[in-house]
Amino acid sequence: MIVLKWLFLTISPCDAAEPWQLGFQDAATPIMQGIIDLHHDIFFFLILILVFVLWILVRALWHFHYKENAIPQRIVHGTTIEILWTIFPSLILMFIAIPSFALLYSMDEVVVDPAITIKAIGHQWYWTYEYSDYNSSDEQSLTFDSYMIPEEDLELGQLRLLEVDNRVVVPAKTHLRIIVTSADVLHSWAVPSLGVKCDAVPGRLNQISILVQREGVYYGQCSEICGTNHAFMPIVVEAVSRKDYGSWVSNQLIPQTGEA
Amino acid sequence: MANVPKIRKAVYQGPSIVKEIIYGIALGLAAGGLWKMHHWNNQRRTREFYDLLEKGEISVVAADE
Repeated sequence: MIVLKWLFLTISPCDAAEPWQLGFQDAATPIMQGIIDLHHDIFFFLILILVFVLWILVRALWHFHYKENAIPQRIVHGTTIEILWTIFPSLILMFIAIPSFALLYSMDEVVVDPAITIKAIGHQWYWTYEYSDYNSSDEQSLTFDSYMIPEEDLELGQLRLLEVDNRVVVPAKTHLRIIVTSADVLHSWAVPSLGVKCDAVPGRLNQISILVQREGVYYGQCSEICGTNHAFMPIVVEAVSRKDYGSWVSNQLIPQTGEA
Repeated sequence: MANVPKIRKAVYQGPSIVKEIIYGIALGLAAGGLWKMHHWNNQRRTREFYDLLEKGEISVVAADE
């Protein structure tokens, strides 16, 4: 158990892009875990086909080198092998399609009764977040803008081009509905470790459902070209315990109720 | 020198396409199997991580100083 604890305590989940990163960021939602598993399933077939094709290629070059095999064969067709190399790829495609469609349709399942709805509105070049569940009147009670922290204002340990002044605070292990739109041009709200990418289209509301499985801070960036500062409007989602989320919401609402 | 077996010159018959295909598929399955083992290992570690997290034996929240 001590070894297990040591092994896991030294692991910090990768929820932001790392230099020279090759693979996915660690999954924090069931959807992202499904995407990673599907990728692994398809990669198995990729490796199978790659090794097989390389083997046949190398062996053909070896056996039929002009010095070893001065007279080339003139094979025009071979019915059996042509049937085989049609059927086997079709089978492989079927084995790929089954988990792929399973994931696709499960991603489309809309959670009927999410606990919280958050609106993410893209602007040039920042995001606005609205938590309208806590409105006591027609006015928007919890709304804030989220701007990137410029490089010169970063503190030690903060991530360049990824940190923002106001994060999207959400409760972990809770069904969330995010409604994404734009106030001007196309943007895209994307957070890789949550397996989320949703276009922000002016005049349209796009909806996604997420369930963040663990507390943590998740980084993403705008993913639709939107002008000169497209690379400088990141997204940071901070998943906290429900208790901490309740405290955060209360703290955010107090100044407004105090003024009213 | 009766009953001396006739010595014939060995001639290479060429590769057998069926054998080469079988070797290729076997190698491909072996390599794919190594990848699957990596995938299952990752899944096991992820499951263990979330189990320990659920039990409270580890935490992703830094302790307040």
